[in-house]
This record gives sequence, structure tokens and C-alpha cells, in this order.
Amino acid sequence: MMLDSKTPSGPVASKWDRARFDNKLVNPANRRKYTILVVGTGLAGASAAASLGEQGYNVKSFCIQDSPRRAHSIAAQGGINAAKNYQNDGDSIYRLFYDTVKGGDYRAREANVYRLAQSSVSIIDQCVAQGVPFAREYGGLLDNRSFGGSQVERTFYARGQTGQQLLLGAYSSMMRQVADGGVKLFPRREMLDLVVIDGKARGIVVRNLVTGELETHAGDAVLLATGGYGTAYYLSTNAVNSNVTAAWRAHKRGAAFANPCYTQIHPTCIPVSGEEQSKLTLMSESLRNDGRVWVPRQQGDARPPEQIPESERDYYLERKYPSFGNLVPRDVASRNAKQACDDGRGVGDSGLAVYLDFADAIARVGEDVIRMRYGNLFDMYHRITDENPYKVPMRMYPAIHYTMGGLWVDYNLQSTVPGLHVLGEANFSDHGANRLGASALMQGLADGYFVIPSTLAQYLGSTALPAVSTDHDAFKEARQTQQDQITRLLAVKGNQTIRSFHRRLGHIMWDYAGMARNDAGLRKALEEIPKLREEFWSSVSVPGDPNNLNQSLEHAGRVADYLEFGELLVRDALHRTESCGGHFREESQTPDGEAQRDDANFSYVAAWEFQGVGRTPTLHKEPLVFEEVHPTQRSYK
Amino acid sequence: MPSRPFTSSVGTKLLVGITGLFLFLYLLVHIAGNLVVFAGPDTFNKYAGALAGNPLIIVIEVVLLVAFLAHIVKTVAMTLANRRARPVAYVVKKPAGGRSRKTLASATMIVSGLWLLIFVVLHVYGFKFAPAPVTADGHRDLYVMEMTYFANPFLVGFYVLTMVIVGMHLSHGISSAFQSLGLDHPAWTPRILTGGKVVAALIAAGFILIALWAHFTGGVRA
Amino acid sequence: MATISITLKVWRQDGPGKPGRLVDYTASNISTDMSFLEMLDVVNEGLIAKGQDAIAFESDCREGICGACGLVINGVPNGPVRGATTCQLHMRSFKNGDTITIEPWRAKAFPVVKDLVVDRSAFDRIIAAGGYVSFNTGGAPDGNCLPISKDVSESAMDMAACIGCGSCVAACKNAAAHLFTSAKVTHLALLPQGQPERYTRVVSMVDRMDQEGFGNCSNEGECEAVCPKDISISGIAQMYRDYHSASIKS
Ligand SMILES: Cc1cc2nc3c(=O)[nH]c(=O)nc-3n(C[C@H](O)[C@H](O)[C@H](O)COP(=O)(O)OP(=O)(O)OC[C@H]3O[C@@H](n4cnc5c(N)ncnc54)[C@H](O)[C@@H]3O)c2cc1C
Ligand code: HEM
Ligand code: HEM
Ligand code: SF4
Ligand code: F3S
Ligand code: FES
Repeated sequence: MMLDSKTPSGPVASKWDRARFDNKLVNPANRRKYTILVVGTGLAGASAAASLGEQGYNVKSFCIQDSPRRAHSIAAQGGINAAKNYQNDGDSIYRLFYDTVKGGDYRAREANVYRLAQSSVSIIDQCVAQGVPFAREYGGLLDNRSFGGSQVERTFYARGQTGQQLLLGAYSSMMRQVADGGVKLFPRREMLDLVVIDGKARGIVVRNLVTGELETHAGDAVLLATGGYGTAYYLSTNAVNSNVTAAWRAHKRGAAFANPCYTQIHPTCIPVSGEEQSKLTLMSESLRNDGRVWVPRQQGDARPPEQIPESERDYYLERKYPSFGNLVPRDVASRNAKQACDDGRGVGDSGLAVYLDFADAIARVGEDVIRMRYGNLFDMYHRITDENPYKVPMRMYPAIHYTMGGLWVDYNLQSTVPGLHVLGEANFSDHGANRLGASALMQGLADGYFVIPSTLAQYLGSTALPAVSTDHDAFKEARQTQQDQITRLLAVKGNQTIRSFHRRLGHIMWDYAGMARNDAGLRKALEEIPKLREEFWSSVSVPGDPNNLNQSLEHAGRVADYLEFGELLVRDALHRTESCGGHFREESQTPDGEAQRDDANFSYVAAWEFQGVGRTPTLHKEPLVFEEVHPTQRSYK
Repeated sequence: MPSRPFTSSVGTKLLVGITGLFLFLYLLVHIAGNLVVFAGPDTFNKYAGALAGNPLIIVIEVVLLVAFLAHIVKTVAMTLANRRARPVAYVVKKPAGGRSRKTLASATMIVSGLWLLIFVVLHVYGFKFAPAPVTADGHRDLYVMEMTYFANPFLVGFYVLTMVIVGMHLSHGISSAFQSLGLDHPAWTPRILTGGKVVAALIAAGFILIALWAHFTGGVRA
Repeated sequence: MATISITLKVWRQDGPGKPGRLVDYTASNISTDMSFLEMLDVVNEGLIAKGQDAIAFESDCREGICGACGLVINGVPNGPVRGATTCQLHMRSFKNGDTITIEPWRAKAFPVVKDLVVDRSAFDRIIAAGGYVSFNTGGAPDGNCLPISKDVSESAMDMAACIGCGSCVAACKNAAAHLFTSAKVTHLALLPQGQPERYTRVVSMVDRMDQEGFGNCSNEGECEAVCPKDISISGIAQMYRDYHSASIKS
């Protein structure tokens, strides 16, 4: 397997122009002849389907949900970055680029990040034109706020529902294409396999979730935009149907998986309240603009917050990071919360929480202003916890939120399987080892609206693609493989529930490959996961009919994949003995407990090649070259 | 794509709203006219005579009839379509409360409406086409007719009940018609909502008063 | 942490057009901190462990934004808490010993897929009929070239907040989709970007809505009362106005 990043030559600022010029074009009259299979309808998938449909390609769009509008992107709250410099506070494309590379702890590919920052500007224009009701100032112009890890105000937002509004914008553009016949929708379909013919991605196998039928679809290229794998940890802020299945099955067909251990923990989530909990709810990090994070100074201080005097509180972020204060990047904020709790100073029943206190902000600007800024978040918190955050501080704890790792892609977003392109959270490309707030929405839309239309044309225009039909043996083989897997799952007929396995896997992942990782723990996980996988295949109960809507079967397939994928994540974490971004190895820290990178040995992308279930995958390295931004120890002091 | 001004679900509401409002306006005029009954037989008969003599009245009657029929056709068709839109009923269904405008009246518009249809047929026959006593100067003596009519306790009961039903129909209908025409305003809509209910109640009360007064006093004997 | 035990009457139906019925289940030792859907998860766990078919119900985000969940609980869409989706309902809204009836959305335009899952693709088709601004990617002018007053943009946002859950249809005695359709019509009618297609949009979206077999609106406002995003029926009035204007203009 060769990893060729295909990064264009020349100065970083002109690479994308150059690529767009060098890329082959597809004549408008010929586009109709190409069938593009787009899997996923989140920001990345919907924007890609819409743009390609507009250009005249014949697009088929697949998603798990009953409607493309429900893709998980809908849940993003905080906002989207763009280097518009509308606030005249010194922002620029270069600064957004710089911040993103630095924020990613120098583990991202510079050229991709620069292109992302360039595209950010057009994204906002595009969305405004779609009718996305971004927040505005009284003068009628777009409003911005600052977001974790940045000292400029470059985040655009629509109340606490930015992801929803952006997704509905992309969805509406896509639905326009559906009406025009350019895009055909296939909702309630789960991609189970990738079909590779003559070394190229030529189709997919999907399960029709209503009839149970395994359908095959042939095309000239496959675009995966299936989101992240946060639910490997069972509890996460991701939607309950999020999965690694599509990416993992593509991996098994030859797509390298890059940096799976780069997972992001979000510092401000509502703490776990019980074993039956099915997901964790994120409270937007915009809350840290006004909320102050603290724990009691004293260990085991069980007094209610209002009885703890100012002098006995430790506003530890403000104390340790005077210039960024409560706005330090997510990994820093998360780790500090964990440290405070490990230190016995956590609050709440479980001791696994820190306070996020708005009392000062309310005193400063008044409750009404706070309600205007965060009303829906406060209501959400109130509803879930039955506590009123206008009166008592919120309790927060970190939770798995985003996965920077994903299928390896080159500059053109193409994976190691020609024709298979990967967009959005499902690829590994732009965030390095840590993603800055409000950058995932930006990346998803950049990939779909602006990058793929150009790079896909390059692939189509430069590749011989003889017609294939779904009668091809490769389709039959893939379909049969999936049929067998389903039969196998249903045949176990054990007595343990699917969820119980998912939960147990989640515990292993969180305990050993969560916020802080070490050699012994990771090795333990490498023993535990295969055992759990074996137990799953001998004692899971998957009831119901394969030829009907069967959510148990769906869930079982996803958990089966996680039981394989989890091992890869752990292996990646074990091999990377440095700390970087969201990957914190306890063995590699500075004297004051910050992540310590090891650039000499780990300045590369780790791309893993599948060798069979339970077999050690092969590691390929794509060296990272920094021509513009010179890696330094990140400091937010 | 051309709009369907009167046949789409929105156009239907336009028609129901306009006809409903027109019928409502007629009722306003009608009750005003009927309240003249308290002024005594001469004034009342003179007023009725003047009305009947006006050539415009025939135009109004025709428009009224058309509006009435259109209202019925549209609302009946609509109700049937609405039934088809939910072929399997809920086992348990409760009103949501809160900001909802749902009331017993709104839920039974078709019942109150059909009742009104029957009523209007009987009423118009009774007051317009049935043989009537004649005044000294040769006009129909509506005053006496009305008093005779309401002497019958069953008829009074039927009228009182019907007027309650009219009130109900209008208590939802008036504000609803504004909404159907798209007339909504943050400050005015709440007023229309209450105002509509008050007017509906006043209309019902006014008619009931006439019927009861006629029954118990027999009016002012000329 | 309090726990309660409850009896459930759950609508079970094998597939579209198949007969359905309410089946009784008991859920014991349910923590009141659990969400309603987590309670159903627990019931399903019990069924799955016994190898029985789990109750099918939809959910994804479980935080009130994707619009996937949605059940009629004791006769009211999304149950007793207003301004919330089903996934945002917590068991603390119920008492020990309660009996809870759970039914799917019921409308001709939302046929039951299985148990509590219905097919809401009619909503997608309504949006495809015109719920967008027609322009191709790449052609947009600068985001700040059209100032939009804060009030207008906030009002547009109020309408754009619709999550397409279908609670409005479920609650309406006529199974009308007016609130959903009007939310999109109004969102775009308020913004300058929506003006060029304003009148053609409303006509084609209403047309599609009618073809899908939804009922007519009788201005009852049950939809508004159950809408998890508090979308107001003043949007329906706006849709009426625009439709009537379209009729006059054409
Ligand atoms: C609670 C929360 C808040 C967030 N807030 C922000 C924020 O404020 N700013 C920001 O920039 N980012 C935020 N993020 C991150 C961001 O939302 C996501 O990274 C981004 O939306 C991912 O988009 P996507 O298009 O890649 O994938 P998704 O939106 O996850 O879409 C995945 C799509 O793939 C489909 N799919 C998945 N598997 C299959 C399969 N096997 N077969 C067929 N289809 C499949 C799904 O149906 C879906 O349509 C947030 C994330 C969360 C969880
Ligand atoms: C004098 C007689 C009547 C008056 C003043 C009247 C008035 C009204 C008004 C103002 C409305 C509201 C219109 C709207 O929502 O847009 C209405 C609605 C209605 N009317 Fe009448 N009406 C009368 C007779 C009838 C009759 C005879 C029927 C019989 C079928 C009827 C059936 C209905 C129904 C079913 C509605 C509800 C429409 C809906 O669901 O929106 N009405 N009426
Ligand atoms: C106590 C209540 C009422 C009284 C005393 C009353 C009285 C009358 C009288 C006296 C007439 C005859 C007018 C004429 O011949 O020129 C009349 C006609 C009529 N009334 Fe009433 N009315 C009452 C209630 C109602 C109600 C509630 C309705 C409608 C729902 C109604 C609808 C009509 C109509 C449609 C006509 C025929 C009008 C015409 O052809 O010009 N009336 N009424
Ligand atoms: S209008 Fe409200 S109830 Fe209807 S679909 Fe939208 S959010 Fe749901
Ligand atoms: S409940 Fe139904 S009647 Fe109209 S106002 Fe709402 S759609
Ligand atoms: S599951 Fe997403 S709104 Fe309830």
C-alpha cells in the first residue's frame, strides 16, 4: 500500500488554486453519464450530493435515518468558523489556518488545512444565500462570537442550533436536486459493504432497513460521508445510530484507517446519571464564554455550591491558563476536569463533575441577556437534570464527542481504494490530533460544497471506468458476505443483549483508551476486546425477522464492527507513545502535566491496513511536513 | 404551477372563511333587525316592511343562499377529507392544552353546522314561507307571527338550544375565519380570539332573549 | 434517586397495513432520572434477552433536535411536557403505578412501518416541492451584502427551528401538515433570499401537501401546543396570506 498524499506543489496559499487548475474537468454534457453513490447525508454528504447534482452528475444518496435531514450534523450547537474578519480583529485565512494546525497539535496536513481555511469564507456566503438565519447584529450584519481556543471572533452561529440550520440548508439544496431528478434519495438504507472491481470502488451493498432486502448499487465513484465513530465508547454525545460500520467495511475492503486513536473529549457535557443512560448531552462550549469553571479547593467538600465561599473555590482554568482562562481548547479543559475529579475534588453525587458557574455573568449582564444567549441550553440542562442553572451552577463532565481519526484520504479526499472518497468526520484529514470548536461543520461543508466537486472530476476525468452492472461477481460476493453475516448474527441465539456488549465495550474503551491512556491499560484493553468479541459471537441474542424493520439486527451489526474496530483504536493508541492533542499518554507529559509531543518519532499520520479480524494490521506512515507553521509546544498559558 | 384559489386546502379555507364571515355579518344584521322587536309591533313591522320592499334585498338573499350553500359544500367535503386523513383512530387521544385553541366548539363544528342547516330550513320555512297573519295595511304581520310562534314552548326550547349552538359555532368560527384569511397579528390576534367569543356569546344571548321574552310576555299587545 | 414501576400499553404492528393492537408490558424499578426512551430501552432489553422481538421505535440524537423520535403518550404527542420531544421526556413526569399508553403518529400520510415507527417521507416531498432557495453552489454573494434586521432574522429562525418531527400532524384532529409546511414557507418568506420564489414556493408546497393526503386545517392550534419547537400557527396565517396573494397575482 502506497500513501501518496498528492499534495500540490508550490506555496501553501496557492496550492488549491493550482490543484483546481491542474485537475481534469468533466464536460457538462458527460456528467449525466456518471453515477455517484453518496453515503451519508450529514453536512458533508448532503452538501456533496447537492453540489454534484447541480453540476449534472447522476447522484444516489443513502442514509440510515428516515429522512436525510436527521443526520447527526443536526445536533451541532455552537457554530461554524470562517475567516471573514468581519469583526476587524485581526483574523485572516492564514490565522485560521495557523490556529487549526496549532490546535491540532501539529498532526494535520498543512495543505488540507489551508484549503479548509480558504473555503470557510465561501461557506458562509453559500449558507446565507440558502436562507440560513445566522445570528445578526442590530445593524443587520452577521454576528460572531469567539469559540474555544481562538482569540478572534470568527464563529458564526444560529442560536444554539447552528448544525441544524446548516444541515437544513444543505438538505434543502439537495432536495431541490431531488425535485430536479439529479439526486435520488435512498433513506433507511445502511451501507454494509463496498464493492471493489479491478481495484476501484464501483458500488455498495446496502440493507433496506424496512424490508430487510440487501440491495446492490453500482456507480463510478463512492463518497463516504458517514460521520464519526464516537459511539465506540457507547456513551458519547453522538446520536445513538452513529456507527463505524460503513468506514470499517470499506477498511476491510482495502481503505487504510488513519489515526483512529485521535478522539476528542468534550469538556462540557451533562454528567452520567445512571447505568441505563443511552447517551450524553453536550452543552455547547460557547457556555464557557460566560461560565466559570471551578471545583472546591478542598478534597471531598460536599457542601452545596452556594455554601462554598469564594476563597474556597478553585477556578483552576483561570488560575493555570491566565491568558485563555475558561476558553482553553477542549483537550486541555477536559483533562483538567478529570484531574480535578481524580484529585477527589469532583462535585455532585458521583464526584465526577465540575461546576460551570454563571452567577458572575448574570450579575454582570443580567439574567435576560444570559437567557438570550443560552436560553435553550439552560432549558435543556434544566429538563435533563431537574436543576435550574440560573440559580445553581451547572455540573459538567467530559465525554467523547468527536473523532479526528478516520479513513485515510489524500489531498483529493480519495482513500487508498481509488474511487472511494471520504468526506466530513469520516475522514482523518484536517484536524490533526485535536479539533478546534466550530471547525467540524466548516470541514464537512468545505469537503462537500467546494472540494469534492473539483477533485471528483479529476478522478472521473482521468480514470477509465468501464460500465459495471450489479450482476458482476464482485457484487454477488459482497452481497453474499453480508447475507452470511446476518445469518450468523441471528443464529447465535444467546441470552445476552446487544446493548450489554456495547456497554461493556464502552467501559473498556473509556477506562483504557479514554481521556488518559497508558501502556498497561492499553495492553489490557487489547486482551479484553477480543475476549468480549468472542463472547458476543457465542452468546448475543438478536431476535426478530431479517426481512422486516429489525433494529436489534442493525444494532448488532454495528456493535460487531465496534468489537473489531475498538481493537484497532487501542492498537493505534498503544503504538503512539507520545501525547498529542486528544491523545494523552500518561508516559509523555511535561513536568506541569501538559501533553508532550514527540516530533522526532511521531510526526506522521498512522494509516493502518487491514489484515483480517484478530490479525495485527500493517502500519503505514505518511510523514507530515511543516513548511509554514513550525511545531512548538502548544501553550495556552 | 397555478394556484388553486378555492380548491386547495388553503383555498378551501379561504372560501369557508369568507362565507363564514359573510354569514356572521348577516347574523349581526339579523339580530340587530330582530332586536327592533322590543320597540313594539309598529316599528318592527315598518322596519320589516321597509326591508322587504328594498329591491337590494333580493340580491343579498341570493348571495346569502350561495354563501350558505358554498359554506356547507366546502365544510362537509373538508370534514370528509379530514376523516380520510386519519383512517386509524387513536385508542387514547387527549387535548394538548397549553396554547391550543381547541375547544368543544372547535371539535364539533360539523355537528353544530349541520344542526344549523336543519334549523335554517325550518326557520326560513316558518318565518318566510309559512302563511302569515296580515296587518291592517295589508303587510305580513311578522310581529304577531313571531309572538304566536314563540308561544309554543317546544319551539322556544328548540330555538334556545339552537342559539347556544350558534354561539358555539361562532365562538370558534369568528376568530378562525380571520386566521383562514391570513389575518394574524401579534397584538390583534389575541383580541380577535376573545372578541370573537364575546360577540358569539352576545349574538346567542340576544336571540335567546328575544325568544324568551316573546314566550313569557307575549310581546306588547297592539 | 427514586424508582417507579409502571404498566405500558404499547401499539404493536408487524408492518404497513397489518392489524395492530395494544400489548401490555410492565417496567419495574425505573429510575425517575431516566428518559422515556431509556425506559423503553430497558423494556426492550428484557424482551431481547428472552429472544423476543423488541418494540420498534425511532430515535437518534436523543437531545431534541433530529426529530426522529415521537410517540403519542397517553393521547398527547410527546407526552405531558410541553415544548419538548419524546426523547426529552423524563420518567420523573410519571408516578409509581401509572399506566402509559404509547401509540405511533396516526395519519394516512404517515403509514406505520412497524410498531411505533411511521414513514414521514411525505415531509421530504413537501420540502422537495419548493422548500429551498434555487441557486447553485458557488454563486453566492458575500454573506454581509444584504443586511437583515435582527428582528426579521430572529423571526425567520423561530420558523426555521422546525425539526420535521410530525408532532403537529399527530396532534391535529385532521392530520393536517399545515404547521410543518408553513414553518418552511414562512422562514423563507421572511428573508430577502426567499423573495424571488416566494409565491411559486407556497403554491407548490401546498399542492404537494394536499397530494400527500394530509387533512385540512381548522385552526385549532393543537399542533402549536404540542410542537417541541414552539412553532406558532401565525406561520399558518402567513402561509394563507402568501397563498391567497399568489392566487391574486396569477
Ligand atoms: C452534540 C454535538 C455538537 C457539535 N457541535 C459542533 C459545533 O458547534 N461546531 C462544529 O463545527 N462541530 C460540532 N460538532 C461536530 C459536527 O457536528 C460533526 O463532526 C459533523 O456534523 C459531522 O458531519 P458529517 O457530515 O461528517 O457526518 P454526520 O452528520 O454524522 O452524518 C453521517 C451520515 O451518514 C449516514 N450513515 C452513517 N452510517 C451509515 C451507513 N452505514 N450506511 C448509510 N448511511 C450511513 C447517516 O445516516 C448520516 O446521514 C458537534 C457534534 C456533536 C455530537
Ligand atoms: C348562519 C350559519 C353559519 C354561520 C354564521 C357560520 C359561520 C362560520 C364561520 C365564521 C366559520 C369559520 C370559518 C373558518 O374557519 O375559516 C365556520 C366554520 C365552519 N362551518 Fe359554519 N357557519 C354557518 C353555517 C354552517 C352550516 C350550515 C354548516 C354545515 C355544514 C357549517 C359548518 C361549518 C364547519 C364544519 C366549519 C369548520 C370549518 C373548519 O374546520 O375550518 N356552518 N362557520
Ligand atoms: C330568535 C331568533 C331568531 C328570530 C326571532 C328570527 C327571526 C326571523 C324573521 C322574522 C325572519 C323573516 C324575515 C322575512 O321574512 O323577511 C327571519 C328570516 C331568516 N332568518 Fe332568522 N331569526 C332568528 C334566528 C336566526 C338564526 C340563528 C339564523 C341563522 C343561523 C337565522 C337565519 C335566517 C335566515 C337565513 C332568514 C331568511 C332571510 C331572507 O330570506 O331574507 N335566523 N328570521
Ligand atoms: S412544526 Fe413543530 S411539530 Fe411540526 S414538524 Fe415542525 S417541529 Fe415538529
Ligand atoms: S392542529 Fe390542525 S387544525 Fe390546524 S391549527 Fe393545527 S393544523
Ligand atoms: S431522538 Fe432526536 S429529537 Fe428525539
